[in-house]
Amino acid sequence: MLKNITIGQYFPGNSFVHRLDPRTKLLLTLGLIVVVFLSQGFLGFAAVFGYVLLAARMSKIHLRFLVRGLKPVAYIVLITFLLNIFFQSEGTPLFSWKFITVTDMGLRRAAFLAVRLVLLITASQLLTLTTSAISLTDGMESLMRPLTRLRFPAHEIAMMMSIALRFIPTLMEEADKIMKAQMARGADFESGNLFRRAKAMVPLLVPLFVSAFRRADELAMAMEARCYHGGEGRTRMRQLKYGKNDGIAGLSLLALVAVIVLFNILGVF
Amino acid sequence: MSIEIRGLTHIYMPGTPFETRALDDVSLTIRDGDFVGVIGHTGSGKSTLIAHLNALIRPEPGHVFVGGVDVGEKGQSLIEIRREVGLVFQYPEYQLFEETVEKDVGFGPRNLGLDEETVKTRVREALSQVGLGEEILEKSPFELSGGQQQRVAIAGVLAMKPGTLVLDEPAAGLGPAGPEGLLTLIQGIHESGVTVVMVTHSMDDAARFCDRLIVLNHGRVAFDAVPGEVFRHEAELRGMGLDVPECVKLVRALKERGMDLGEGLYRMEDVRAAIEREVGKC
Ligand SMILES: Nc1ncnc2c1ncn2[C@@H]1O[C@H](COP(=O)(O)OP(=O)(O)OP(=O)(O)O)[C@@H](O)[C@H]1O
Ligand SMILES: [Mg+2]
Repeated sequence: MLKNITIGQYFPGNSFVHRLDPRTKLLLTLGLIVVVFLSQGFLGFAAVFGYVLLAARMSKIHLRFLVRGLKPVAYIVLITFLLNIFFQSEGTPLFSWKFITVTDMGLRRAAFLAVRLVLLITASQLLTLTTSAISLTDGMESLMRPLTRLRFPAHEIAMMMSIALRFIPTLMEEADKIMKAQMARGADFESGNLFRRAKAMVPLLVPLFVSAFRRADELAMAMEARCYHGGEGRTRMRQLKYGKNDGIAGLSLLALVAVIVLFNILGVF
Repeated sequence: MSIEIRGLTHIYMPGTPFETRALDDVSLTIRDGDFVGVIGHTGSGKSTLIAHLNALIRPEPGHVFVGGVDVGEKGQSLIEIRREVGLVFQYPEYQLFEETVEKDVGFGPRNLGLDEETVKTRVREALSQVGLGEEILEKSPFELSGGQQQRVAIAGVLAMKPGTLVLDEPAAGLGPAGPEGLLTLIQGIHESGVTVVMVTHSMDDAARFCDRLIVLNHGRVAFDAVPGEVFRHEAELRGMGLDVPECVKLVRALKERGMDLGEGLYRMEDVRAAIEREVGKC
């Protein structure tokens, strides 16, 4: 029951996309998000979608994974879609029933927003699927470094993020184990009303917190034992370096931007 | 009630690159009154196997019958199966959560819907079974020592009065002196009429306490026999990353040096008696 979460899951591989510098991938994802907002028509979305599909293809990630990652947010997409259909009164009515009127504009707008949402999620998913947590935080730290001049704790934030990312699977595994242990003692996590279910979580949450605190304590001790003292003067084992591929990837995004801008200027639907 | 496993296979995360075949066509029977040891190299599927015994994992594909009832059948009451087959996980102390030991041990029986009086007596019985006195009842489980916590956690399962007690590496996480007491305690529980299934990494413990050993290798049953028979296959066991008990090695070493004690000896007492007999002859 805790197994279907693919957001933030890394899918190991050695493809062109996997080997890109994490900074490139972060910037590309940011760029893609901008492009998705820039696009004013479905043809632009189709171009972005093609771009994402191509990247997924090149990274040998099965489409099933991208689709599975959409499941948890499917409701949000659906609600956005429905709200936008019903609360748009401009345009030619297509049909109406009691106080509900569906117009062509409303339908278009709803579909537009839903597709935009799906594209945003898919693009960011591709980032986490092809980048391990460590390189992701390395990349973020490196991108945020200029901000340290403004006393922004770039290293600390990156370290906290990498620790959090590192421990999410561990905690999920732990939760699974504790849940099984309590189920073996007859605990029931699945039936009853909301109040009963909330109460049934106590035997899961107490041990989970106890173990999280113990782990945090042990981790802090282990880090200090290895002379961790924050970011200052710390060197890294893996140096990030931009390569030729990063240039190619960057150019490909520029091409995409050009296409979208062209579509916008021409006003293609 | 006996437990029967037929053609059980379990694959974790099928269809992903993390796919693992943890169990592969396993069939075996655990009879009433057995003391079965489950051994195998790390990752061989021991924990996965025992999680099937009380339907924590649905058998798919394959079947698990507890007292003739197919646990995988839709609509099957799971609570009755979980009462009958008590499962104690590795590091059971990580499941403690109540304010007092009494409440924590009572969690299982209360889930069975027993009345408060019965729960109270069961808690006391279970604690005495694991060698803990009444003075511990009002303490917080978090202020106990590791060994005491483990016993409290085992009591929490015993309080449900299972017919079969399944333990996943009960001796793990205890100091060098810890396992001894705990294992004798489990032996006592077995003698009181409870069927015991115990996962263990220690061949010496397996030899000493179990009447039957199930050896898992890459999710398959490699051996399912009495210990004397299993330990005869030393080379194969080593091939699976396993060992034989120290005294089996001793018997072999003595044989190489000309003292033949005979076949099938694996318990320290028996080896000792055989050596004394042999020495007495001279
Ligand atoms: N929740 C899970 N998700 C994915 N794979 C798992 C999970 N639990 C176990 N596995 C995998 O299944 C295989 C069998 O695991 P299992 O825990 O049953 O082994 P084990 O014999 O109990 O090992 P150990 O002696 O280390 O406890 C291993 O390869 C393990 O990596
Ligand atoms: Mg195990």
